[in-house]
Amino acid sequence: MIAFSNTVKRYPSGFEALKGVTIEIATGEMVAVSGHSGAGKSTLLRLAAGIERASQGSVMVNGQNVGQLKEAGLAVLRRNLGLVFQDHKLLFDRNAYENVALPLAIAAFPRAEVGKRVRAALDKVGLLNRERSNPVALSGGEQQRLCIARAIVNRPSILIADEPTGNLDQDYAATILDLFKSFNQVGVTVLLSTHDDAGITRLNCRRVTLDQGRLAP
Amino acid sequence: MNAWLTTHIQACERALRRLRAQPLGSLLSVLVIGIAITLPLGLYTLFANVAAVASRVNTDPNINVYLALNASDAEVRELEKRLRQLANISRVQFVSRESALADMKRVANLADLLAGLESNPLPHAFTLRPSSADPALLATLRSEIAALPKVEHVVMDFAWAQKLKRFATFAERLVLLLGIILAATVVFVTGNTIRLQMLTQKDEIEVSQLIGATRRFIRRPFLYFGALQGLLAGCVAVAAVSAVTLWAGNEVQALMVSYGSDYAMNSPSPGQALVVIALSTLLGWSGSFISVSMYLHRPVR
Repeated sequence: MIAFSNTVKRYPSGFEALKGVTIEIATGEMVAVSGHSGAGKSTLLRLAAGIERASQGSVMVNGQNVGQLKEAGLAVLRRNLGLVFQDHKLLFDRNAYENVALPLAIAAFPRAEVGKRVRAALDKVGLLNRERSNPVALSGGEQQRLCIARAIVNRPSILIADEPTGNLDQDYAATILDLFKSFNQVGVTVLLSTHDDAGITRLNCRRVTLDQGRLAP
Repeated sequence: MNAWLTTHIQACERALRRLRAQPLGSLLSVLVIGIAITLPLGLYTLFANVAAVASRVNTDPNINVYLALNASDAEVRELEKRLRQLANISRVQFVSRESALADMKRVANLADLLAGLESNPLPHAFTLRPSSADPALLATLRSEIAALPKVEHVVMDFAWAQKLKRFATFAERLVLLLGIILAATVVFVTGNTIRLQMLTQKDEIEVSQLIGATRRFIRRPFLYFGALQGLLAGCVAVAAVSAVTLWAGNEVQALMVSYGSDYAMNSPSPGQALVVIALSTLLGWSGSFISVSMYLHRPVR
């Protein structure tokens, strides 16, 4: 479960990205956060992933108050989350296989298990035949799928995706959203941000709209 | 335990991969650190050899008292009595002119030359051992002895040996100081190499942190990398100093033989070599640790 309780995020400049947001996302639920640019969508997701800390209020993920976690606790939390970024954050000096294997190396999985899991994740996103390719040789949609494979390789209970279809054309976007839908159908909690209304309709999930850091009615 | 070992093995493998990925850069770093370690090690070896030579020289203060050639046996006995009565003299040894000549013939291989002399040109002498090496006391003693009847010369020939001993002590301190300065240099050089490494691996570090890597996990391969550089640099330093010692050793030995000594120059011993390699590994590790810790304290973007 993810719970934002009267969460405020204020930056040192004084700008408030979130102004007292309260949302609860149940285990196994899929929630799409929408809103204009600057509405606070990415900030909300970064708070859930422990990349930033709330200035006021709390953010609970799987029963843990993210704001109170120390460095090691945050690392453990992130290993149990699948993070998908709009800019993919892939490593271009490694091939697809090695990119997906990175979370397993961090979690110290044995080599044989790494091989099985990486191939299963690549298969799931349809990139098994590109495992030796460098990300630079992949299209934008394939890079996003590779990023998703890296996010799911640890078999996380929660997937957090920030604008996963932001840079993709409609067909690719639909493929990516269907992937999230399939993960949710097997019990994974999905929290994603998007400003693609058609996409949210396709997902057929709960929608939360942010407007200038507040929940829109 | 298994997971712990796996992470260390993987970190070590990554460090080796990084070393192999930039062979020229790694080689240059190792050489720079190696030279920085070679300087104090080389000086230490040099001064250790000088100190070993100095230790063979008797640096205890001795006073040689040479008598006038016309001193009679009775005068010699009287002088010996007065010398024994002097305060601050712990030992008095008489060296007759006959035994001095015999020693000279034996030691200096001058038998033929000395055999041609009509009479023994050497005087009777006393070798005194003062109970203190205090320069003021020795100066007073010298004046007192010189004023005694039938005393021709008073020679205190240990000053140079004392100077040598002081020089060895000074050299030891110089090596220590230089060692500290160059150890700091090693830390800075390794730290800077690792900082550059981290800049090239910036994306990997950022992504790793985002997907759950602890600082310890990220730090580990860099620590291995720094330690590995230190280890190799230590080996380079030991090899360089040993090679130079071996190269110069033959010439030094030949020189020492001409001075009547059988002293042979010593290379760093296996124990010393191990200590140097262990220390340089530790310095490499320390440099990496400082550099990585400073870098990782920046917030994740």
